[in-house]
Amino acid sequence: MNAPPTFESFLLYDGEKKVQKEEDTKVTNAAIFTVNKEDHTLGNMIRHQLLKDPKVLFAGYKVPHPLEHKFVLRIQTTSDYTPQEAFMNAITDLTSELSLFEERFKEAIKEKKDGLD
Amino acid sequence: MPKLEDKPRVILEEFRVKNAPDDYGMADEKWNFKKFVKKFRIVIVRMDNSEMEFDLIGIQPAFANAFRRLMLSEVPSMAIEKVMIKNNTSIIQDEVLAHRLGLIPLKADPKLFEYRAEDSTDGTEFDTLEFTLKIKCSANKSQPKDSFRAEDLYENHSVYSSSIKWHPIGNQASVHKETEVGPVHSDILISKMRPGHELDLHLVAVKGIGKDHAKFSPVATASYRLLPEITLTREVTGGEATLLQSCFSPCVIGIDSDGRAFVRDARYDSCSRNVYRYDSIKDAVVLSRIRNHFIFNVESVGAMLPSVIFVEAVKILRDKCKSLLDDLNNF
Repeated sequence: MNAPPTFESFLLYDGEKKVQKEEDTKVTNAAIFTVNKEDHTLGNMIRHQLLKDPKVLFAGYKVPHPLEHKFVLRIQTTSDYTPQEAFMNAITDLTSELSLFEERFKEAIKEKKDGLD
Repeated sequence: MPKLEDKPRVILEEFRVKNAPDDYGMADEKWNFKKFVKKFRIVIVRMDNSEMEFDLIGIQPAFANAFRRLMLSEVPSMAIEKVMIKNNTSIIQDEVLAHRLGLIPLKADPKLFEYRAEDSTDGTEFDTLEFTLKIKCSANKSQPKDSFRAEDLYENHSVYSSSIKWHPIGNQASVHKETEVGPVHSDILISKMRPGHELDLHLVAVKGIGKDHAKFSPVATASYRLLPEITLTREVTGGEATLLQSCFSPCVIGIDSDGRAFVRDARYDSCSRNVYRYDSIKDAVVLSRIRNHFIFNVESVGAMLPSVIFVEAVKILRDKCKSLLDDLNNF
């Protein structure tokens, strides 16, 4: 049997890095990030968050091949900003949004339960 | 035409889907946290032990989709992963039997267990649950003379999930109760047998995620849709009103005492475009959906409450974001 191991889609191999950065040689202030063992779940969300940043000129992601468990994210920013800063800001924003999510959801559950009693 | 408030809409026309004229697409707006806090709302509509319906209002589709994907394939649960077959003389093949057993949902709370290391052969009490299934079919000695029903002729001719016995390892018996780790349903048919057939199996359950195998998915379904909205643009009465009513899902359109149609509740409309078949009333309605109002439906398989599954999904996503941020800081 030549089936790939089932954990391949979510466990990093030995020495494999989660994120790799590659500067774009043709365009200034642009970089390509490769995020290993992640898929559309995170890719689409980060891209979406980056597009909300007015200093980001371009943000796009792709999953190069369905059997390679990674996505590639290209970010281009204005000259007073770097792609990495943009990336990090986007993720920070996402984390704060998620904290709010958890808090509001628990509140809503509590409200619902109180309403039932 | 009644004035529409400022909700982003998509209008479902007869042959196409159109953005509302004042809607420039949500991707173009500048994001800020304060605005998001103000607009964002969660409303829980229905909730019980196995099913939940809730609304997420004011979020991006990327978010909604991320949560759906996470609940389906990244929230962990326990399932039978290995089956040691000591004896199987039933007509169901070993591998098919093992597959069937894997798909049985277990009640064990995955939060109380750890992932088993990739290379470990023997599980520990913290990452493994062990069960046995030992059953033999025999002829029923005290059968009534003139009956040909299988349940009168044989004993144990149907093997159900209730025959799976838990064997605590180490200290497990004091931490978990038998009723809290076994199969969610006691009446899942595993195999049918005839006298002489026998099963003697050793089952090993571990924690895993849906990405690995669908049996580890904690939800039966997790889906979302946009809130439908129906607006009547003119008065519809009499026969036209009943015709209008028949074009939508039950209880969506009501008719008042004057025979005038009104929109009672568009929430559960199927959004079919039936109205557009009738020239006499197709000018009377505008069908639309609210683009940032997501109705989630989460149906748990039984191990965790649906509300817990959602909270877990949020936590997983936050952990992912945090680890990614740490990695980026190290460049």
